[in-house]
Amino acid sequence: MIKISGVTKKYGMNAVLRGVDLHVRPGEFVTLVGSNGAGKTTLLRIVATLMKQSDGELLVGGWSIPGDAEKVRRHIGMVSHQALLYGDMTAAENLDFFARLYQLDHRQERVAEALQMVGLLARQRDPVRSFSRGMLQRLTIARATLHEPDVLLLDEPYTGLDQEATRLLDDLLSRESEKGRTIFMITHDLARGLDLCQRIAILNRGRIARIVERQEVNAAEFLALYGDVTRSVKERKGAQG
Amino acid sequence: MTEENKLASGNLSYMATVRAIVWKDLTMEWHTGQILSVMLVFSLTAAIIYNFALYGSLAAARDASTGFLWVTILLAGTLGLNRSLMAEQENRSLEAILMAPIDRSAIYVGKVISVIIFTLAMEAILVPIFTAFFNKPFWRPQVLFILILGTIGYVAAGVLITSMTVQTRTREVLLPVLLLPLTLPVVLAAAQVTAAYVAAVPPEWSEVQFAVSLVVAYDIFMVTAGFLTYHYVVEE
Repeated sequence: MIKISGVTKKYGMNAVLRGVDLHVRPGEFVTLVGSNGAGKTTLLRIVATLMKQSDGELLVGGWSIPGDAEKVRRHIGMVSHQALLYGDMTAAENLDFFARLYQLDHRQERVAEALQMVGLLARQRDPVRSFSRGMLQRLTIARATLHEPDVLLLDEPYTGLDQEATRLLDDLLSRESEKGRTIFMITHDLARGLDLCQRIAILNRGRIARIVERQEVNAAEFLALYGDVTRSVKERKGAQG
Repeated sequence: MTEENKLASGNLSYMATVRAIVWKDLTMEWHTGQILSVMLVFSLTAAIIYNFALYGSLAAARDASTGFLWVTILLAGTLGLNRSLMAEQENRSLEAILMAPIDRSAIYVGKVISVIIFTLAMEAILVPIFTAFFNKPFWRPQVLFILILGTIGYVAAGVLITSMTVQTRTREVLLPVLLLPLTLPVVLAAAQVTAAYVAAVPPEWSEVQFAVSLVVAYDIFMVTAGFLTYHYVVEE
């Protein structure tokens, strides 16, 4: 569904991504972890068509980015740690706006269904500005899935959530995964990242360092593996210094 | 055409996208009133200051009133543009729009239409006040017509420039520095036509034809430039 081949991204002389290769199969939930500055957000923004890669090939649903970006956009939805919603509008108005943008039929029914799905129907007339972080994140999922995208991109979706909100978000993401949606999540939270996915990849210094099948490792083993990868990088740095 | 076919074929209606953007801006303004209130407070304060500052020399005030009107529209418009485009940056909501399978120029056209609506609403209040304060016929149809034409050009340039500057930390400085000189041709021509039509004796068409043509040409140029270049402006 998502095929990333040799993708690089440079800002002047500084390379953030240095030839990333990753293949996310249809219906699969893949998590990409890495430390701050590893290039996770940059990679996700390229997949989301918000940014262009400097080099390499990127296909989503068989469509190439950036060449077929407009076609790719029909098939993706994105949940970020930023709400990407309008605080001055109500929850229903926000979803109605995106339903208008995607020109969905039966807008009102779709908006009501989406609000019901994330448990916010009773708050539909409240301004988004008054929502808690957890409610905002649930509304963000409703916004991102309103047009039934094949691919859901998640950018640190657990940032700032309390335990209850985290549990609700887990439930929502599990349901989205069960619907057969391809999910590609980036996070620096290893435990959360490991919990829901089928495969987990480690991005380090702009490259995919490891890709692991979830069922092949438990949490402790993965933490050790992650430590090895990052430690070996630190050691390399030390040796160079 | 069904929704799936529309999405699959990419045949989303351009005008429906424009309508969605305008609907969103008007809905937000309906809730907050922020854009109109900031524009109105500034423009009314400016009108009162002009009136009282030149109270002793009413003739001078009347002669300069057209200039005052356009300066007020220009500066109040800058405030409105900044507020309108800033709303897209809060919560980075513009990114959600940019991820929709739409022609990005439709975002530009939608923003231009909504800011024109806000600016014309402000002018609808400002014109009677200027008429009363300076005793000049700003209500004449020709004056209203040139106000609309001038506003289109100013807003078309304003949305483009504000979309660039709003992403920067120095936006409050950059916007007037870039926008005001760029809109000088349209404002000068529009002010010249306005002054001619509020005079005691309205001018012949031939006397204002060049200036009106300049305003129309500027409008066409700026709307076309914005339409063609907006997707570069919002691209990272």
